[in-house]
Amino acid sequence: MDAFLTSRNVSDVLGGLASGVIYALVALSLVLIWRSTRMLNFAQGAMAVFATYIGFAILAPSTNYWVSMAVAIVAGLVLGGATERVLVRRLYGKPEINPIVAMVGLLLVLESVAAAIWSTSSRPLATPFSIVDWQLNHKPMALSPFAVYEIVTSLVVMAIVAALFQYTKLGLQLRAAALAPEVSRLLGVRVSRMLTIGWMLSTAVGAVTAVLVASNFFTGLTPSGMDGVFAFGFIAAAIGGLDSPVGAMVSGLALGVVFQFVGDYVNSNAIILVALGMLIVSLMVRPSGVFTRSAQRRV
Amino acid sequence: MIVVDDLSVSYGAVRALQSVSFEAPSGEITAVLGANGAGKTTLLRTISGLVAPLSGTVRKDDEVLTGRKTEDIVRLGVAHVPEGRGVIAEFTVEENLRLGFMIAQGSLPDALAEQYEMFPVLGERRRQAAATLSGGERQMLAMARALIARPSVLLLDEPSLGLAPLVTAQLMQQIRDLCAKESLTVVLVEQNASSALRIAQRAVVLRVGVVVANDSAVAVRDDENLRQYYLGMVE
Amino acid sequence: MERIVGSRLSVGLSVTAVVAVIVVVLSSSTRLAVALALGVAVLGVGATFVSLTAVRRDHPVATRALISVIVIDLAIFLTFRVSATSNSNVAIGAAMAIVLLGLSFLTGSSGQISLGNGAFMGVGAFTVGIWAEHHPTTPLVAVLVLATLAGALVGLVLGIPATRLRGPYLAGMTLAFAVAFGAILNMFSSWTGGDSGLQLPTAVVAPHWLASFFGPTASSLTTSSAWLADISIVVTGVALFLMANLFASRIGRAMRLVRDNDVAAELVGVSLPRARVIAFTVSAAYAALGGALWTLINNSVSPSTYSFVLSITILSLVVIGGIGTIPGAIMGGIIYAFSTGAISWLTAHLGLNPQGNVASQLDGIIFGGLLVITILFAPLGIAGLVRHGWRWWRRARPTGIVQ
Repeated sequence: MDAFLTSRNVSDVLGGLASGVIYALVALSLVLIWRSTRMLNFAQGAMAVFATYIGFAILAPSTNYWVSMAVAIVAGLVLGGATERVLVRRLYGKPEINPIVAMVGLLLVLESVAAAIWSTSSRPLATPFSIVDWQLNHKPMALSPFAVYEIVTSLVVMAIVAALFQYTKLGLQLRAAALAPEVSRLLGVRVSRMLTIGWMLSTAVGAVTAVLVASNFFTGLTPSGMDGVFAFGFIAAAIGGLDSPVGAMVSGLALGVVFQFVGDYVNSNAIILVALGMLIVSLMVRPSGVFTRSAQRRV
Repeated sequence: MIVVDDLSVSYGAVRALQSVSFEAPSGEITAVLGANGAGKTTLLRTISGLVAPLSGTVRKDDEVLTGRKTEDIVRLGVAHVPEGRGVIAEFTVEENLRLGFMIAQGSLPDALAEQYEMFPVLGERRRQAAATLSGGERQMLAMARALIARPSVLLLDEPSLGLAPLVTAQLMQQIRDLCAKESLTVVLVEQNASSALRIAQRAVVLRVGVVVANDSAVAVRDDENLRQYYLGMVE
Repeated sequence: MERIVGSRLSVGLSVTAVVAVIVVVLSSSTRLAVALALGVAVLGVGATFVSLTAVRRDHPVATRALISVIVIDLAIFLTFRVSATSNSNVAIGAAMAIVLLGLSFLTGSSGQISLGNGAFMGVGAFTVGIWAEHHPTTPLVAVLVLATLAGALVGLVLGIPATRLRGPYLAGMTLAFAVAFGAILNMFSSWTGGDSGLQLPTAVVAPHWLASFFGPTASSLTTSSAWLADISIVVTGVALFLMANLFASRIGRAMRLVRDNDVAAELVGVSLPRARVIAFTVSAAYAALGGALWTLINNSVSPSTYSFVLSITILSLVVIGGIGTIPGAIMGGIIYAFSTGAISWLTAHLGLNPQGNVASQLDGIIFGGLLVITILFAPLGIAGLVRHGWRWWRRARPTGIVQ
């Protein structure tokens, strides 16, 4: 059993899940916004990083990790809501490239402002759990307390979001506003408020993601630290189907495992090429996403 | 009671409604009739605040509706079942009803039970996605979803569209019973003039945005000119 | 009509002759005089013909060629007169204008956007670096063509799947490509030189016959920086000429149909995916050509240049200049050429520490902010504002001419 748990393939699966949950969270927060506003939030990573800086760089370094995490989440809620109210609201009904351009502009502004205030050098975050892998019979197991914390936190966030959407009055209104805005208004749903709440939620999920990414010893917190993660998260969301939250999360997890194997058996630089290749193949075979039931999208 | 006073609406340069005035009394069905493009749907959309008028006002009893947001007008008790029913296909029957109950007070289980009693077929399919319902069942769901919040005004846009004649007849009967029982103000937009006139007490006939008749349903039904030229009712 | 043509021709040509004579008289050496007179002659004759409505109407291709020649001619005059730093900015900016022309064509014709043109520039830039390492004597034109083809090839591979779909897929996929480009270069580090990049074995200098023609008195005309700027300008002029024809061609018009209405385009028989793939491939090829010039100008190529930020900067420039138009792309190139100077001026006037965090991020904040402001309040950019202002001015001022 011990030998099995420390074997190369099991290690790859465990390590893959730890990064897969991150892609799943990014994909989830992209899907949340895509479903309600038909926009891909290209500034998602930058907004998440900015919220994380607010939680971890403005407060004194000695601040409790959980306090910082909570501040980052609140900052995400505020930043997401403000972005929707100030910027996104003016882009509804415009040609499809306008929101893309605007969100890329916001990405550049946020990353540059973060670098101007906090510099581009990496800032290590104190982690509540050890990042050293557990040992089994003096062999490392590719799983650390931090990785477990990362996986559990991500799953909890996903469960909270799912429960919110499925079982609460707010979730019902959020889903209705995304699916049928005009009908929802006729039933008294305050649709524009729902859009704001959707952006708040998505950015808060992003903030948790960025905290987890930055807590990782190897990366630390940098202004552009989420660019690569965002790219993988987008690929996961596009493969799973931008309309399917479950699809986005499952494909995020699956991609994490696949990438871990590629990195281990081939070369870590090859991961992104494999990712691009998978995206290309999946767009050609199932343009509307692997987990989207109806192929309503126009080709 | 709904009072529409001198209402004009335009889409860009196109005038959709021109000085439309009429009253829809409580406990009665007011049929709004006219050909395609006469402005019937625009009228309902203006009453529920989806379209802002150029001039004129809409009142419900003593409250001015004009200038308010749709979400607030709904909360004043004006339920609007839009053209094509507006059932959310991805939602289950019960989720659609829960959404309709959102602005209401009181107990959700009681309200659901009441609707399932009125529309038993919905109770049988409460866990099914609305997409799986037939046209008639969808219309019932749309009605139940509007009624569950206990509105005092019901705006119905082409409820008979796409329904078989027998189903339409049943539906019309149900609308009439509801109206009497709950003392509702019903504004019924219909292309199918004969079935609407059968249950309505009053009728307003529109022609390219202008009111050409505003009278009792009986009077409109018996006016040979109206029947031939505006309602397309040829025996 | 004939009389107007005749009189305008004679006036234009006389003015040209007079200016040429003045230039010759004022020149310090015979050879400089010959060069300047030639330049004035090309400019004057070209402008005279382009000013004729009949020429513009009946010979559109020739008109575009003449306009390109005039632009080249004017820009080269400029390179004679400015400092080496300015020349290098002009060279860099002209190459950027090529990249912007490509992106502008993609958006203007198909309504789609690429976030990876910085990486496509990198494809061209590294093609030149790698090729020059093994075949240092290859003629310049051949190297540039090769780099362009390499960009087109990569564009084709990415474009075929991504352009099949409407929506954010092309933008997302090109973003992934831009972010991944560094890792891809690293994967082939034995060719690309890893983090340190590549150095060209020989610098690009003016050919011997040209240098000797001007002689020592006017050696500034053939300095390396001026020569590189001239090459950049000529290549940009050729790219401009080709692009103008592409915009006006049947395929260009068909593509605008694709942008405005998918269904209408299908009815008239334009294959939608193919039109989009072509537009994307052209934009990638243009980006690679610009990147190839950058390698020649810098005499080296470094992977850090072709980061994701460059791709966003390219997008900013094309949007601020005016997306989907040729003048907008040229405007973007001019802005880029001046941006370095403008930002260091701003840094000094704001009293910022030039080595500080804020100063180093100023360009990102300004470009990003302008990008957001432009797309919200003037989505057609400077070119759109100018066109709008011009129309407004013409309407506000009554003229005797009935159109």
